[in-house]
Amino acid sequence: MTALTSHLKLLEAESIHIFREAAAQFRTPVLLYSIGKDSTVLLHLARKAFWPAKPPFPLLHVDTTWKFHDMIAFRDRTVKELGLDLIVHTNHDGLARGMNPFDHPPSIYTDIMRPQALRQALDAGGFDAAFGGARRDEEASRAKERVFSFRAAGHTWDPRLQRPEMWQLLNGRLGRGETVRVFPLSNWTEGDVWRYITLEKLDVVPLYFAADRPVVERNGQLLMVDDERMRLLPGEAPQTRKVRFRTLGCYPLTAAVESEAADLDAVVTETLEARVSERAGRLIDHDQAGAMEMKKREGYF
Amino acid sequence: MNLAALEERTSPGTAHAPGQKLGPMVRLLTCGSVDDGKSTLIGRLLWDAAGVTDDQRAAILHASHNRAVNGERIDFSLLLDGLVAEREQGITIDIAWRYFETERRRFVIIDSPGHEQYTRNMATGASHADLAILLVDARHGVKRQTRRHAAICNLVGIKKVIVAVNKMDQIDWSEERYRAIEADFAALAGNFDFAETTTIPVAALTGANVVARSAEMAWYTGPTLLDYLENVDPKVEPEDAPFRMPVQLVLRASGDFRGYAGTVTSGTISVGDRVVDARSGLGATLRRIATMDGDQPSAQKGDAVTLVLDTDLDISRGAVLSEIKRRPVNADVIEARLVWLSEKSFDPEAGYLLRTATDLTPVTSMSVSALVDFETLGVTPAHECGVNDIADCRILLGRATALDLFGDLPLTGNFVLVNAVDGATVAGGVITWVQTGAAAVGDNVLVLDRARLAGLCSDLGDSPADRAEFERRAQEVAILLRSAGVPVLIEADQ
Repeated sequence: MTALTSHLKLLEAESIHIFREAAAQFRTPVLLYSIGKDSTVLLHLARKAFWPAKPPFPLLHVDTTWKFHDMIAFRDRTVKELGLDLIVHTNHDGLARGMNPFDHPPSIYTDIMRPQALRQALDAGGFDAAFGGARRDEEASRAKERVFSFRAAGHTWDPRLQRPEMWQLLNGRLGRGETVRVFPLSNWTEGDVWRYITLEKLDVVPLYFAADRPVVERNGQLLMVDDERMRLLPGEAPQTRKVRFRTLGCYPLTAAVESEAADLDAVVTETLEARVSERAGRLIDHDQAGAMEMKKREGYF
Repeated sequence: MNLAALEERTSPGTAHAPGQKLGPMVRLLTCGSVDDGKSTLIGRLLWDAAGVTDDQRAAILHASHNRAVNGERIDFSLLLDGLVAEREQGITIDIAWRYFETERRRFVIIDSPGHEQYTRNMATGASHADLAILLVDARHGVKRQTRRHAAICNLVGIKKVIVAVNKMDQIDWSEERYRAIEADFAALAGNFDFAETTTIPVAALTGANVVARSAEMAWYTGPTLLDYLENVDPKVEPEDAPFRMPVQLVLRASGDFRGYAGTVTSGTISVGDRVVDARSGLGATLRRIATMDGDQPSAQKGDAVTLVLDTDLDISRGAVLSEIKRRPVNADVIEARLVWLSEKSFDPEAGYLLRTATDLTPVTSMSVSALVDFETLGVTPAHECGVNDIADCRILLGRATALDLFGDLPLTGNFVLVNAVDGATVAGGVITWVQTGAAAVGDNVLVLDRARLAGLCSDLGDSPADRAEFERRAQEVAILLRSAGVPVLIEADQ
């Protein structure tokens, strides 16, 4: 048995319970795999929940084509090593219309390439439940999220339609046209995720660790120049700085932080001492007050 | 007040080396209303115990100026209010979860609204908590609301309660007034099953006795709120509780692997122990406790495991594996106390399903016998109940299922009631009495078995999957018949 502290053991058992309840109650679940640290923990817990069998559902990755190259390499390696089914979906309609993170406002680009693409993929697969790695500690509107979060037809989320959840009991009986997002990591914090990764010795995308990387500084944020598609503003020149990422997404929209934390222990220490919440590095969240709630109502997650 | 001034009062960073032990996680319910200063108390706890990041602090300081509810003070309650809709109305209507940790512990704060029209929200939040903070306004003392909050905590099984007597600054830090409130609550607590109650005088606005000891109340020598939270044992476990594991899934894998996956809800189990399936009465010996981290010699309450038995009991999801001597009751009639959660009132003609630990059983008939007044703690005979009501009821099940009394084993003695048509969760309840065999087949009960449903189920064989499908179809038929007024009983195993 691994040397988990009592609170991580409790969180792990709770997450496994949730995975098993969902697998028992829904017909066609799918795991939304976004490659980041939360997805890494989510996938590890899914494997534990059904071991020695494989998780009885495929993985789904919504690829905007603007993810960091290290992320895609990590995704493909993980899926191959574990022998899992992976569905990759891209909103080709959006690509054909020339959507990119430079010519369009981040909120519009993101809406088309992520939530819209996700809805397309879920509809195409006929999935009635989708596991996600969202945590309640991430953002204020998520602080009230359920473990089984119901979506009406069209994937819309209405806070008034959410079901009360009592004790350990999870009610997955679907009404007409309803689907569910399942959040096994609801009660985890960012610190828990990192501690768990350390204690379980999980492999994560190298971008989480500090290294010399080419970046430009723009509006006080450090953006990494991950490939030749990065558009530089007049006067901008990439410079090498020691940076790492707290969250991962599309590289032109995900800010790096300067850091010396080059291994897991250093990242955990830095995270637990952090004075700024992790979503501060996501450019799209700053658009407006209640940004996440708006996105959720529209089916973002 | 500026940010720099606040920074000085913030406790230093609370980093832990990854291997360092944090104590057990504590899930804490906070009950009270805006008027009691509840949000301020939690906000103060988060702020002083370093659960707030710099960007959140800046946002709160900014928003505090916009609202200016407390003059120039910081509005700590902004740390709690979540959804935009609620923020605009200035009230908290749902449950919000907050997470923070100190040097010693990881905390989950479950924040629920306190007013009577939100009884269902509070009961829902309370069902997840190990302990509860009841807020009492020092100016008003123990009120009807305090009684109701204590009763809801008791109903859902909370065993430890902290009474935070808030706004001590408003009564000149009076020890005499505080002692009177303390005595009032001690008298009230005698009505409930709490294992431990603690009373602490605080002033959330100034922070007195929340994290820092109060200079104004030198007469108080007990723990501060944070002291207490960091030292309390959150669990109350009876010694030698009987083993229970509701089966969530049957896992099959290569090499003839067949295991029952579930979470132990009570007691412990070791390899070599005998276990029994309460529904069939069949027993077997535990051969392995399989996990991805290797086989375990034993498992205890809270562990998510997979049990491999020496003989195939041929059971499926919904079964409860138990120790031989002290088994759950294979019940088809229950009495229960429940909180009605749905805006749609109880309808004796509607189709309901009883979701227990891992089973889903059709309700043959259900009647309400009384409503509980949580402010007088009295009971009045009644036949109806609606949203926010606490009711006593009697439920006849379409087939027997393994159940315990909530007072003995909460996790196999609780349930939610589900509307069979739209799937909504309409009530949550605790089982107070169980009986076997009372719904025995009578002249007017239609038995749904393989023979009667032969046509509908002609495509089904005898495999576990087909039997599960038979049960599903039979349940749907039972719901239809029940809504047409026909009492039915399912005999799936025939």
